[in-house]
Amino acid sequence: MRSRGIEMKKFFNESVTLWLTFAARLLLGGVLFAAGYLKATNSAQAAAAVRVYRILPISLANSFGYALPWIEIGIALLLIAGIWVRYSAIAGGALMGIFILAIGQAWARKLAINCGCFGNGGVSADGKVHPWVYLAEILRDMGLLITAGYLYRFPHGKFGLDRLSE
Amino acid sequence: MAEKSAKNVSNANKGPNPAKPKKKSSKDNGTRNLVIGMILLVVLVGAGAALAKNRTDTHAVLPSSVSVADGYGVTFNPKAPVKLDIYEDYQCPHCRDFETVNGKYISSLARAGKMHVVFHPITLLGPESALTAAAAACASDQGKFLDYHAALFQNQPASENSGAWTNDKLVLIGHSIGITSAKFDTCVKSGQYTQWAMNVESDASAKNINSTPTVLLNGTVVPPQAELNLAALKNLFRAAGVK
Repeated sequence: MRSRGIEMKKFFNESVTLWLTFAARLLLGGVLFAAGYLKATNSAQAAAAVRVYRILPISLANSFGYALPWIEIGIALLLIAGIWVRYSAIAGGALMGIFILAIGQAWARKLAINCGCFGNGGVSADGKVHPWVYLAEILRDMGLLITAGYLYRFPHGKFGLDRLSE
Repeated sequence: MAEKSAKNVSNANKGPNPAKPKKKSSKDNGTRNLVIGMILLVVLVGAGAALAKNRTDTHAVLPSSVSVADGYGVTFNPKAPVKLDIYEDYQCPHCRDFETVNGKYISSLARAGKMHVVFHPITLLGPESALTAAAAACASDQGKFLDYHAALFQNQPASENSGAWTNDKLVLIGHSIGITSAKFDTCVKSGQYTQWAMNVESDASAKNINSTPTVLLNGTVVPPQAELNLAALKNLFRAAGVK
C-alpha cells in the first residue's frame, strides 16, 4: 500500500514536470518568436537598436542586428517543437544573459535608448533615460533566464519531438 | 543527477500515458530531422537575406543629383564651402517638425547656391519610408526634389506604417506640385529607386545614424536645441560662414 502511494506521488510529480516543461517551452519560445518576428520585419531599425547600446563596433553591431532576429526565431521554433530542448535552453538563456548585461550597462552609462527587444529600437523618443523601464526589462529577462534554467534541468515535456526519438 | 531523473520521467510515462503510441524510432527520427531541417532553412535564409538586403548595391540604378561619395544623398551645390547633411525619414513626425520650422530656409539656401546641402532620406521606420524616398528620387529626376520633399512632409500621415503611403498617392502628390512628365509616374510605380533608398540607409547605418532628424553641419551634429529654432539654426550657419 505504502509503495503504491509513493509510486502515485512520483507519477504525479513527474506528470506535473512534463506539463511545466511544456508550458516553459511555450513561454520562452513564444516570447523569443515574437521578439524575433517583430525585429525581422524591420531590419534597419533592428540594426539601429543594437548600435545605440554602444557595445560593439558599428559594423559588428549592424551584422548582429540583422542576424539576431533569426537566431531568436530559430531557438523559438526548436523550443516550441521540443527539439534539442537542453541546447535551446542554453542558447535562449545565454541570450537573456547578454540582454540583461546590455540593458544594465545602458542604465549605468545613462544612455537614453529603447530596449528594442520587440522592435522599435533606437534612441528614446523623449531623449530621456527611463530607469524604471530598464529595471522592468531586466526583471522580465531574469524571469526568462530562470525559465531557461528550468528547461535545462527538466528538458522532457509533453508533445516534444525529442521524446519520440528515445 | 539530471540524466537519472530524465530517465525516470520517460519511464514513468510509458505506463500511464496513453497519448503517444510507441512508434518505430526511425520514423520518429525522420519527423524530427525534417523539422530540424526546416528550422535551419528558415534561419539561414532569413539571416542571409537580411544581411544581403542591407548591403550597399553598387549596381543600383541611381537618380540624378546623387553623390555616391556623400552616402548616395541627393546633393545640391557640391562646390559650396559649408556642408549640411540632413538625415530624415519621411514617416518621422520629428522630421516633419524640423521641416516646418527650417524647411523653407534650407531650401532657399540650396536653390541660391549658398550651401552644399545633402539630403539623406533614410528608412528607419518601415517599408513606406523606402517607398517615399524612392518617389522623392523620381522627383529629383524631374528637377523637383525640394518641392516634393516639402510636399511629402506636408502630407505626412498621422500614424506610421499605416498603409497610407501608396505609389498612387505618391504620384498624385507629384502632380500636385506641377510634375507633368509620364516618366515620373512610371518611375514611382516601378519602384526603380528602391535599391538606391536601401543604399542610403546602408550608408547611414554604417555612419551610426540612429534617429531622425540628424543634421550635420560640416560633419558636426547640430544640437537638438537648434533643430526646432530657426534663429538658432541661422546663427549656427552664419558662424560657419554661410552668407
